[in-house]
Amino acid sequence: MGLIEPYLPDIWLFIIGFFLLYYAVADGYGLGVGILSLFARDEEERSIMMESIESTWHDNQTWLVLLGGMLFGAFPLFYSLVLSSLYIPILLMLFGLIFRGISFEFRSNSDEKRTWSLSFGFGSLIVTIAQGFALGGLLSGLPVKDGVFAGSVWGWLNPFSVLVTAGVLGGYVMLGSNYLILKTHDEIQQRSYRISLLSSIITLVVSVTVHLRIVAMYPHAAGKWTHPPDCYAVWAFVLLAGIAFVLLLVSLEQRREIAPLFCNMGIILFSFVGMSVAMYPYMIPNVIASPLTVHSVAASPDTLWFMLVVVMVLIPLILTYTGYKHRLFRGKTTESGYESERGHG
Amino acid sequence: MESLVDHVTLSRLQFALTAHFHILWPVLSIGLSLFLVVMEALWLKTGNIVYYRHCRFWSRLFLVNFTVGVVSGIPMEFQFGTNWAPFSVAGGDFFGHMLGFEAAMAFMLEATFLGIMAFGWNRVSPRVHFFSTCMVALGSSLSAFWIMVANSWMHTPTGGVFIDGRFVITDKLAAIFNPDMPWGVSHMWLACIEISVFVVGGLSAWYILKGRHVDFFLKSFKIAVIAAIVVTPLQILVGDGSGTAVYEHQPAKLAAIEAHWETNPPGEGAPWKIIAWPNKTRQDNDWAIEIPYALSLITTKSPTGPVRGLREFPAEDQPPVLLPFYAFRIMMAVGFLLFFLMLWTAWTWYRGGLDADRIMDRKRLLLAWIAAVPLSYIGMETGWITREVGRQPWILYNMLRTTDAATNMPASAVGGSLLTFAVLYPLLFALFVYFAKRIIAAGPAEAVPPPPEAAGA
Repeated sequence: MGLIEPYLPDIWLFIIGFFLLYYAVADGYGLGVGILSLFARDEEERSIMMESIESTWHDNQTWLVLLGGMLFGAFPLFYSLVLSSLYIPILLMLFGLIFRGISFEFRSNSDEKRTWSLSFGFGSLIVTIAQGFALGGLLSGLPVKDGVFAGSVWGWLNPFSVLVTAGVLGGYVMLGSNYLILKTHDEIQQRSYRISLLSSIITLVVSVTVHLRIVAMYPHAAGKWTHPPDCYAVWAFVLLAGIAFVLLLVSLEQRREIAPLFCNMGIILFSFVGMSVAMYPYMIPNVIASPLTVHSVAASPDTLWFMLVVVMVLIPLILTYTGYKHRLFRGKTTESGYESERGHG
Repeated sequence: MESLVDHVTLSRLQFALTAHFHILWPVLSIGLSLFLVVMEALWLKTGNIVYYRHCRFWSRLFLVNFTVGVVSGIPMEFQFGTNWAPFSVAGGDFFGHMLGFEAAMAFMLEATFLGIMAFGWNRVSPRVHFFSTCMVALGSSLSAFWIMVANSWMHTPTGGVFIDGRFVITDKLAAIFNPDMPWGVSHMWLACIEISVFVVGGLSAWYILKGRHVDFFLKSFKIAVIAAIVVTPLQILVGDGSGTAVYEHQPAKLAAIEAHWETNPPGEGAPWKIIAWPNKTRQDNDWAIEIPYALSLITTKSPTGPVRGLREFPAEDQPPVLLPFYAFRIMMAVGFLLFFLMLWTAWTWYRGGLDADRIMDRKRLLLAWIAAVPLSYIGMETGWITREVGRQPWILYNMLRTTDAATNMPASAVGGSLLTFAVLYPLLFALFVYFAKRIIAAGPAEAVPPPPEAAGA
């Protein structure tokens, strides 16, 4: 333990990063499908879209619960500061999750399918926008004094966070359309190819702008781009993200079915890691007072060690059974979909 | 007392509303998932299609109930950070990772296998399906375990030291196995089973009373009665043990629950108030109907055992009295009523009154089972009021006050979210009732063919 102890918060940052990434990708495509369902032609299309994620959206969303719990345990100060200072977007997200969460089960029991499809679509949209503003608010910097948030309850609302929200919206729509390419065919699939291309380009432009703004706001982040050895890592990941983006465009052009989703995951992975390296060791950037580092917001070493041991056993287990389930429900969704197999008892 | 509109009071109201609403759903998820395990096991063992139809029928109700539980549960986890930031910092070292364990060990398991349980009938073999149902049941009970560990620790925070406004763990196991934990976990888990037993039994009684699918629901009714024979007396015993733990570790809370103001002098017994009107300003009861010696007898098992009165504690450390006092009495009354209902039913069964051709005439018994459904929920909710209001004025017992633990933010922000919850949750409740009524009105499907590769058939 002695050798590892000084790095425990960093190890935990890595684990939390993994949870966040898994959530953003897995629930990201679910939320994207939800937003896209608002633009479906008819109820039959909405039905196919919802059924494409019906059996797995719930465990994908559960990564958010996992993320919340683990963040609370490993970085209590970060958890409390971020959630309390971003009160309005976080509560908005919770309300959105309610509408989205009830839509599947209530829809299957209701004659008013349309009402619940809309609950799913708008719920997903609210959750996405709320997450965008929360991320934008965090990246704008949270004024913290003596371990307590000292800013305004509306501090998360600014032009920069609107831009970040646009990026999150674009990113989820991109994921959602690449997922629909994999899970559907004919009309919806063809349309998804076009939407994927369009949203990819929008997301790229927005992300680049967001990164430039971050570099301009935080000198420390700017330094990471120019000073060795950190700059090698930052540029390497930017390069990898760029390659993944080009591969995505190629796979869309060639009408591939599986590749776009995986290229999309690559883009998110590489740009997320690149951004994290640029931000490290600060978890809460702050332009006014001193920013908070990974080590200052972490729980006590004992707790981190105990949690680490438990999580090291649990993560492989979780990945095994969720993986099994994703395999179980693989394949295309059609009009008859899972609905026919559902049966009624 | 703070004004009604300050951020602390509003955050407390929001937590009370969201917690009381949320807990309505997991109790049934926990108990009903175990019931589903039993029914599916019976189906696999006997090959009797009736059990398979029971699985399909009850799992529809289970899913609607589970859905409301999930969407109302996620706000619980995030509220500690949003509304109780100082508590999250002070207690996060322990409390946070209990919630993390719950998510990683229990909720993820439940959420993943629920998908297979609901949509996998034709995708997996009956054995794998049964395994999935078991994992859902295991996940939901494990979830209750971790949440109750975290909650018990707020009542009896052991295993660490409180320095500079933060609880630092020195002994993880002592924190997990805190003095209240065995009682908190078992009392609540039994409550989940007890409520589910009366929901299954009560709904079955309703169908029998209506003369619909009498043979079918007689099976589930009898299983509920057998479970009630075990659970209802056990819950009273565990409740008594839980009370003794409160006596030992939270004396001010016990005194408040019993509206017991003055410590009984040596050689004299403390009386138990059946009903009273506590008056905090006078530090006494305005009036009370008492049973002599009974409080000493119940809590210390000796007629003259000493029970500390509320006056021994400074006024600022005293919990509210009226609410825990009456909530406790309602909970206890419910516990005994359910116990007597079990006795009545068992006697009727013994006399042959539950036979298919005679049970229809037992209208009063069946009506009592239907009434037991809301009653059992009322028992659970009043139990929680007793437990949590009795913990006041502390959020972390004797360490951190509730008033110091709320996020400092504009009251308008908390008011806005509270109002939204206050609109959304009754709506959710109404929607649940609407869909549950549809499922119940439709009843079990007559001819559901089991999956093609069904075992035992």
